[in-house]
Amino acid sequence: MKFDSSTLLRRKKYPIFLLCVILTTWYVFVDLVDGDWNSLENSLENLSIFFYESLWPPNWKVLEARSYPVCDRNWDILCSPAYIGIVETLKIAFVSTGLGFIISLPLATLASRNLQNDSIAIPFRLLLSGMRTLPSLIWAIFFVILVGLGPVSGVLAMTFYTIGYLGKLQYETIEGLSKDPLDAAKAMGLSNIEIIIRVVVPESANNLISQLLFMFEYNVRHGSVIGIVGAGGIGYYISTYLKFLQYDKVMALLIVLFFVVVIIDLLSIKARSYFVEDASLKYPSMIKTILGVK
Amino acid sequence: MSSVVSAVDLKIGYSSSSVLANIDNLQIVKGEIISIIGESGIGKTTLIRNIAKLQEPLAGELLIFGLDTRPKRGNVGYIPQKLGLIKHETVYFNVLEGAICHQSIFRSVSGFHDQKVIDKVEESIKLMRLSDKIDEPIKYLSGGQQRRVAVARTMAQGAKLILADEFLSELDDKTADTVWNVMHDYVKANQITLIIVEHNIERAKLADRCFKLERGENNFSILVEVEK
Repeated sequence: MKFDSSTLLRRKKYPIFLLCVILTTWYVFVDLVDGDWNSLENSLENLSIFFYESLWPPNWKVLEARSYPVCDRNWDILCSPAYIGIVETLKIAFVSTGLGFIISLPLATLASRNLQNDSIAIPFRLLLSGMRTLPSLIWAIFFVILVGLGPVSGVLAMTFYTIGYLGKLQYETIEGLSKDPLDAAKAMGLSNIEIIIRVVVPESANNLISQLLFMFEYNVRHGSVIGIVGAGGIGYYISTYLKFLQYDKVMALLIVLFFVVVIIDLLSIKARSYFVEDASLKYPSMIKTILGVK
Repeated sequence: MSSVVSAVDLKIGYSSSSVLANIDNLQIVKGEIISIIGESGIGKTTLIRNIAKLQEPLAGELLIFGLDTRPKRGNVGYIPQKLGLIKHETVYFNVLEGAICHQSIFRSVSGFHDQKVIDKVEESIKLMRLSDKIDEPIKYLSGGQQRRVAVARTMAQGAKLILADEFLSELDDKTADTVWNVMHDYVKANQITLIIVEHNIERAKLADRCFKLERGENNFSILVEVEK
């Protein structure tokens, strides 16, 4: 049989693509290392020494009440750096996700090309893209300079990033809607705002709620990072212990954070399962669950 | 009698380099039922979308209610092939979408609907014999029931021109005939113009006039009236 290279390429495209990815990645990695392989040689040993001498065992004093201000609550843990930090991180994530959602939804409808002309959609896409370009950490540095240290700058930083990120997810969802309901509404003569409220939002509600929950989960994880630059939350305590080389306390806070994030993730996955398309049969039972009726 | 739809030397398609159909003269008057048949890809949906003003003609004149511009709010009802219903929402919500054409944008957005709008919704649902399904989400209804919701939506809308694009496809003959009869009786009783794209030739011939889009010269489709 005659050898045909185009047939081979077509039939073996996935293995060939995978091989290309592996080779390119390795080539770029070698280029980055630039011959200095010595830095990798002792890395495992160094990690082991650092882990056993500085990180382990974790210092659980982070779960005890701070010496100042004096704790006036029933349980000491409620005045501990771990509890105060985690609660503040959750509050920052909650407020910034809510604010981000409220602002991003109108922007996403303006950025959707099935609802607006390109002359309107493209500038709003660029705006959302611009807000997404800077990670929340950089936004946090910016807002710490503007409004000072504390959770307010954290909320502002995460809200900005949430608008950019959630806005993109939302306009992609809107553009993925079936055009039939939109066409029927346009032919009727409904205005753009009526189409958004009566067709776009109800038709994409499950996805929008699912994305909102995902964003909250994402913001809880990132809320711990922005504290490092002084924007509040558990990151503030992590950065303080790092400065004083108290790595065992950092380890304890990271373990606490890990468990909180895992719990939030599990709750979020469970909640999102009520709203994703495949599980939409469960949608009414979620409402019933919240209302406590059978 | 003035035409509800008037097309003269109309060219439709997606770009000037790919004209799908060329319509020399088409005049449709009030209360007429028109069916359009033709093979797939011949331009039936494109013609309906042009009449619904969802797409601009490439050339020629297309007047709806004597106007070249978008018709008055609520005058045109469009039922796409997949019906265009909000699947997660209830029968009431979907029929209300048609009825809000009768009130101000502020009222429809704020959700404080006029009593006459609510009455119109309930009346349309009752006429389509869907009262027992009023709070049922669309996705739980059968194909025939979903089509009746789409008809109820145009009823509540009070459309004077209804455009239905193969909306009876995917239904078994008995259900399709039932929905067709309901639609037929409603438009005849209310002097509404109906243009329906239909793949079932027997049913298409039940219309007052039946047109066929077929391949003409230069590979353009042309509209010819079918003898009944």
